[in-house]
Amino acid sequence: VSAIGLDDSMVAVAAGLRRVTARVIDGDRPSHGAGVVWTGDGVIVTNAHVARRHATVVLADGRRFAARIEACDVRSDLAALRIDASVQPADVGDSDRLRVGDLVLAVGHPFGLSGALTTGLVHALGPHDGLAPARFIHAAVRLAPGNSGGPLADASGRVIGVNSMVVGGLALAVPSNVVVDFLRRARVIRDGSPLL
Amino acid sequence: MSTLLSLSNDLAAAVARVAPAIVSVNARRRLPSTGIHWRPGIVVTAHHTVRVDDDITVSRPDGRAVRATLAGRDASTDLAVLTVQDAELPVVEVADSTALSIGHIVLAVGYGPRASLGVVSALGGRWRTWRGGDIDQLVCADLVLYPGFSGGPLVDAQGRVVGMNTSGLSRQVPLAIPTSVVTRVTDELVKSGRIARGYIGVGLQPVRLPETMTRALGLTGTAGLVVVNLEPDGPAARAGLLIGDILIALDGKPVGETDDVQAALGPLRAGARVTISLVRGGARTDVELTVGERPQPRR
Repeated sequence: VSAIGLDDSMVAVAAGLRRVTARVIDGDRPSHGAGVVWTGDGVIVTNAHVARRHATVVLADGRRFAARIEACDVRSDLAALRIDASVQPADVGDSDRLRVGDLVLAVGHPFGLSGALTTGLVHALGPHDGLAPARFIHAAVRLAPGNSGGPLADASGRVIGVNSMVVGGLALAVPSNVVVDFLRRARVIRDGSPLL
Repeated sequence: MSTLLSLSNDLAAAVARVAPAIVSVNARRRLPSTGIHWRPGIVVTAHHTVRVDDDITVSRPDGRAVRATLAGRDASTDLAVLTVQDAELPVVEVADSTALSIGHIVLAVGYGPRASLGVVSALGGRWRTWRGGDIDQLVCADLVLYPGFSGGPLVDAQGRVVGMNTSGLSRQVPLAIPTSVVTRVTDELVKSGRIARGYIGVGLQPVRLPETMTRALGLTGTAGLVVVNLEPDGPAARAGLLIGDILIALDGKPVGETDDVQAALGPLRAGARVTISLVRGGARTDVELTVGERPQPRR
């Protein structure tokens, strides 16, 4: 394997990740956030600070939907939106298996660019001073406001986090396992066992 | 060999391949910028880093300084072209930037050499710079352009040049001028020393036309461009345009954004005649004017 081979894998992973990255427009606010197509039946995960009231979701293929906000948790800065569409969902990875030094990729819509890719490494894992006890993925990846709510993925293109803020130049992402817990608690997705 | 080590070696090889053709350009105080030996005797760099027109030198990677002459500059695409007399300096291998995909590994190379690693972050179609330059393709890279990197090459994993990096066209993201634009502008600067662009000497601002006006005058467009500034004795002023006139068409083609005017004037040369349709005092009128040439900014 050489730089050329790695180059092609990076291009393929980027293309897959861009397909599951949506644009989330909140009401009339001019700034757009991003979102991750989480399930095939139309659940879009984004940041709570991106979708406050009326969210419009624009998929990578250009389709546009008015979304319902099904769940929102300001503390973990997560929101679950639903659109009436059958969609190709992201491949969600297990964030507990991440290691410091893992290659990560982010896709978002910073500075009016659409589906822009940035890459970097996992810098640290765990709580952040002042934001404890929430766990984060700290990544040395360049993010800007339009990245909020967009995916952070591993080298296989599996989504392992939702980008939510920039602190001291580092990206902080909510780990995918925390997102799954949030979706289950909010009963947006079922974990297989019938609910009582 | 591990994948990581192999990648590392390949990146170092890509830098080594391009580095002998990369020079520093000494044309401003303190910090030099980077130049690319594009063709034998022709060095390209970023216009905004060339603050003087005379006494320019370029330094080769071995430290030897060579005198350079400014062949021309184009602020609109942020390109400056220097000629040098140096038979030993190799030239870069130029590749087509349209073969790039998002995710491709790229390096920004500065004089020294110095390198910065990243990936192609965003690609887009034709766009116009804030100074009116026409760029064939939008190329953004996710990498850091360190001080002095402007004017240097964006290279692919094989060490081929796919663009010229500049921080002069956007404050937010590092942009690269695609090789096709560098070659086209260089050719014209070498041939005539400047990029001729049609110029009429007006400052314009878009305005929405009220429906009562469009109906009364039978206009198809809903927007026009109000004249907010007139170059004294410029082509428009000489033709009798007034501040407050609303431009609605150039040679019969409707204009609703300043881009429309730049696109219409760009290919025109000094001396060409255009008919400007405008609304003045609520009535339509046509004015003929002779296109001039944009005065060259010094820097």
